[in-house]
Amino acid sequence: MMLEITNLHARLADGREILRGIDLAVAAGEVHAIMGPNGSGKSTLAAVLAGRAGYEVTEGGVRYQGHDLLAMPADERAREGVFLAFQYPVEIPGVNNTYFLRAAVNAQRRHRGEPELDAGQFLRIVRAKLKLLDIGDDLLQRAVNVGFSGGEKKRNEIFQMAILEPKLAILDETDSGLDIDALRTVARGVNGLRAPDRAIVIITHYQRLLDHVEPDHVHVLQDGRIVQSGDKGLAAELEERGYGTFDEAAGEPA
Amino acid sequence: MNAPASTNRIVDFPVKPEARPYLDAFEGGVARDVETEPGSIARHRRRGLARFAETGFPSRRSESWRYLDLRPLARDPLLPAQAPSARVLRAMDEHLTGLLLPGKGPRLVIVDGYFAAEFSSLDMPAGIWFGTISAALAERPELIDELDTEIPGDGEHPFAALNTAFFADGYVLKIAPGVALDDPIEIIHLGSGATGSFHTRSLITSGEGSRASVLEVYAGEGRYWRNDVVAIRLADGAELARTAIVEESNEAVHTGQIDATLGEAARFAGFALVLGGRTVRHEASVAMAGENARCRLDGAFVVSGRDEANIVTTVDHRVPGGQTRELIKGVAAGRGHGAFQGRLIVREDAQKTDAHQLSRNLLIGARAAIDTKPQLEIYADDVKCSHGASIGDLDEAALFYLEARGIPAGEARHMLIDGFLREVVETVDDFATRTHLLRRLAGRLSNLEE
Repeated sequence: MMLEITNLHARLADGREILRGIDLAVAAGEVHAIMGPNGSGKSTLAAVLAGRAGYEVTEGGVRYQGHDLLAMPADERAREGVFLAFQYPVEIPGVNNTYFLRAAVNAQRRHRGEPELDAGQFLRIVRAKLKLLDIGDDLLQRAVNVGFSGGEKKRNEIFQMAILEPKLAILDETDSGLDIDALRTVARGVNGLRAPDRAIVIITHYQRLLDHVEPDHVHVLQDGRIVQSGDKGLAAELEERGYGTFDEAAGEPA
Repeated sequence: MNAPASTNRIVDFPVKPEARPYLDAFEGGVARDVETEPGSIARHRRRGLARFAETGFPSRRSESWRYLDLRPLARDPLLPAQAPSARVLRAMDEHLTGLLLPGKGPRLVIVDGYFAAEFSSLDMPAGIWFGTISAALAERPELIDELDTEIPGDGEHPFAALNTAFFADGYVLKIAPGVALDDPIEIIHLGSGATGSFHTRSLITSGEGSRASVLEVYAGEGRYWRNDVVAIRLADGAELARTAIVEESNEAVHTGQIDATLGEAARFAGFALVLGGRTVRHEASVAMAGENARCRLDGAFVVSGRDEANIVTTVDHRVPGGQTRELIKGVAAGRGHGAFQGRLIVREDAQKTDAHQLSRNLLIGARAAIDTKPQLEIYADDVKCSHGASIGDLDEAALFYLEARGIPAGEARHMLIDGFLREVVETVDDFATRTHLLRRLAGRLSNLEE
């Protein structure tokens, strides 16, 4: 199994419990969508999986390709093939986008015992992927995310994903703030990465990205638990009915 | 106050104890040599020495020197060094590796405060005179008259006074009106490993409408004190970029001072990158003497271990329409201590002055310290002036972002520190200079947290 989450409980430093018993299994080749209203715990789940500091796992666990994911520091998870597309990509003044990406790729290659890429080799790989995401050369020469529009930031996330070729990609609200053209571009990028040996988890509030990237499974997250799972039909149903109908189910003990 | 030259007594008043060894050194040797110098140099030297004898070392009680600990230097004097031997000079070849810009541009190398002809190339196009103070004394004494002009504030700068007493050599760069030079002129100040103080006094005069850029490199080995003074005079419409990179040894004391005066619509860009030295003070004083002059003063310091570095700036707007932009960044790691002090003075007549000053600082680890003190003194009412300062830790969100891409924590921290400083280094206009600074910066940061 690519990802196996069992009875995951996590809380913030202030003690508030956000995840209250999540169970989820994602196999290689699958695309899962996790949907839910604001405050349901979607972004916390993404943060815990990626290894962001500030969350305490109090119960349960996560296995990734059979290994204990939570035991690995964030950078090691990434080198092992876990990728988080950030809801709010961080601006890093003074750090060139290409330089940053090459450092990331080479960190991964060192980890696998492969030789590092020099600037020329790296540039050839980059050029091939640029077209896919409709990203201009100038974006590469700028500082990471600095002065990028909202759409550029999101495309840059998917671009990084295309370069790093993760085993497990977690997309945190990647569709938010995108106009329809940018959404299509991002969707094309994500679809281009669908592969039998790769799993994708799309975390979203709305159905709109799912119109372009068809999920195999859809889960509804509410108050820190998955309250319903289904196929892509569930997403359409949610769009129609809203999240209110699940309140009752979420109130039951886990 | 001056004693007759026939005696070896220079002063007849109580001398500060820390100044005594320097007086003795002067009486013991230098005094004889300077009597043969032309013009009024000898008189200036004696006056400088007297002033130093009277004031002694700057005290931390003086506001401008409060962030620097000079007690080790006061306890253990570093007397003016002798000229390096031919054998010592031959060994300098390898020390120059990495310090030079690529190519064979005009270059003047000074070792232990003395001119090293074998490493220098002084061929210049017409309209530019570039050479040592000693050559200028012999060939162009009129240039020295300009050097004679007193460094303003000598009284507040005991080390400038000491420099006047002892300077062994230095350079003179005189650019004729209208002459434009594309390649940067390099001045390399080396310490050979000799223990002592190296005093250099230099002068740049840029003629009307001329344009040039200068890179000064300060590096060395062992325990020494470099005390350097550069006077810069920009005529109307002249443009000059002067970049300094301070990479002194980890036992060295560096006190460097530039004093610039800008004519009407002149443009000056001063940049200082302080990467090494046990105790470093880099000071720039700029007088905006002509209307509509523009001044940029940017720079950065990196301190670690027990290093101390101060960047001190004063920009004095005396007439209308001047513009100043300052960005100074600091990084302190280990038990390093850095400080920025920046004064912006806008005098009553300096209406329509547009001045902005920003000090941004990064603390690495719990034992590092940074002081920042931007200071606006505004006496005119129709001006646009602002300043700001920040001191912070590495951005946790940015660190996580890099780690989430697989970049190991140490490398991620390094990238953020490099990026923080790169932002200011990238404001240096000249490509070769900028590339050189970035390379030296990367080298410095590679062992910052060890």
